[in-house]
Amino acid sequence: MIDELLAPRYLGWLLHGFFNTVVLAAVVCACATLVGFVLCVLRAVDRGGVSVAVRAYLSVFRNTPLLVQLFFWYFGVSSLFPEGWLEWLNTPHTWRVVALHVMWPPFEYLAGFVGLTLYTSAFIAEELRAGVRAVPAGQVAAGLAQGFTPAQVWRHIVMPQALRIALGPVLGQYMNAIKNSSLTMAIGLAELSYASRQVETETFKTFQAFGVATALYIAMIVLIEWGGQYLRRRVAYPH
Amino acid sequence: MKFRFAAIAALALFAANVAHADRLDDIKRAGVLRVAAFDSNPPFGFIDPQSKKIEGLDVDYGKAFAAKLGVKLEIIPTNPANRIPLLTANKVDIVLANFTITEERAKQINFSIPYFASGQQFIAKKGVLTSPDQINKLRVGVDKGTTNEIVLREKFPGATLVAYDDTPFAFTALRNGNVQAITQDGPKLIGLLANVPDKDKYEIPPFSVSDDLIGVGIPKGETRLTDFVNTTLRELEASGQAQKIYDTWFGPTTRTPLKRIFKIGDKS
Repeated sequence: MIDELLAPRYLGWLLHGFFNTVVLAAVVCACATLVGFVLCVLRAVDRGGVSVAVRAYLSVFRNTPLLVQLFFWYFGVSSLFPEGWLEWLNTPHTWRVVALHVMWPPFEYLAGFVGLTLYTSAFIAEELRAGVRAVPAGQVAAGLAQGFTPAQVWRHIVMPQALRIALGPVLGQYMNAIKNSSLTMAIGLAELSYASRQVETETFKTFQAFGVATALYIAMIVLIEWGGQYLRRRVAYPH
Repeated sequence: MKFRFAAIAALALFAANVAHADRLDDIKRAGVLRVAAFDSNPPFGFIDPQSKKIEGLDVDYGKAFAAKLGVKLEIIPTNPANRIPLLTANKVDIVLANFTITEERAKQINFSIPYFASGQQFIAKKGVLTSPDQINKLRVGVDKGTTNEIVLREKFPGATLVAYDDTPFAFTALRNGNVQAITQDGPKLIGLLANVPDKDKYEIPPFSVSDDLIGVGIPKGETRLTDFVNTTLRELEASGQAQKIYDTWFGPTTRTPLKRIFKIGDKS
């Protein structure tokens, strides 16, 4: 049975890939939430050109396949760079920020990060907007009638309810971001799916390689699920 | 009656013995050398659009063997999977079809000494890569799931590998500067480069990091035929004929110029 298992060296590869997936997904989720929030607010407060621009952004990023977007950022955009840029981007740079060594990631990571973040932010923006729209318009009118400024209405009446309503769907988008991150293996980003392919090629232990990867993906999703349930209980309004 | 049956049986046995005595004599007696070759794997064996006949590097070797024996050449098209069955079923005398020598295959058939090597090579921008030890400092694009990736990781632990879905993707990454070199089998790389508009910017450095040795497939146990093939191959190299055949398909004036880095007799 022992020789049916993966050697430590290959488990190491898979764990390294898992680490890359976790870091990539975490950074993508954090940045996509920020961008999504800004997009949602911009679309809500503006009725003119800005709103049109945001709608165009949402339709472009929501309605094209993520794989094509990743190819665009990795192969398409980099072909427009002047010579020398990519070389600089791909050479390791390190900075000391306080006591931390900050490692500059290779271009695969940059392109994967940009592609995933923009794609995910478009979905999160719409989940947040759905949350905002779920707050009855009468509450906004009531707030304004009470003498709240529009900003105060947003801050104290709309947002607290909208964020609670949107919590579940946004967590669902986080899970999608984790699963979507596997597509970055097409642009050479060494995340979990890439690592499982590599292990499979070297060991021919197909079931084990993809089995471990599957288990790790499930573990990540389950953790978010649990965290979401806990968070929802914590922030729920008392009935 | 009994006697006659025994006589026939003995005669049949004798005839069978003669038939199996020696393939080299059979070929000479029949006046035909039957060679299995690829019909869709340029430039090793492919149907020439003008002549409608199977031509290529492998076929040229077949012609040389037939000429040496003073017999006619008959080419039988094959695919990779049929190469060994054609030999064991006595449908062909030898196989000349980009046949990589492996231990597994050598249990079922004889192989000649290698007459061609398709090694794992690289494409890089001109001047970037001149010797193998530089690979340790480069970002190299490989095809996912190939032995090229495994070989590179074992021999050049310092290299940064980026795996792509196929060779055209890896080449796009090279053109954009995402990687500094890509690796594949030399003949495949030269085929790829032939269709690239700005191919002058790139080169295939004349070294390989692993060799797939290509040999002539011969029926198991045909020692005299094997010796004949080996001797002829060495003669072709000595006379310069082997170089001439190579240049016809991979020489500097062809569409797929690839420097010759393997000569017959380098490995046995």
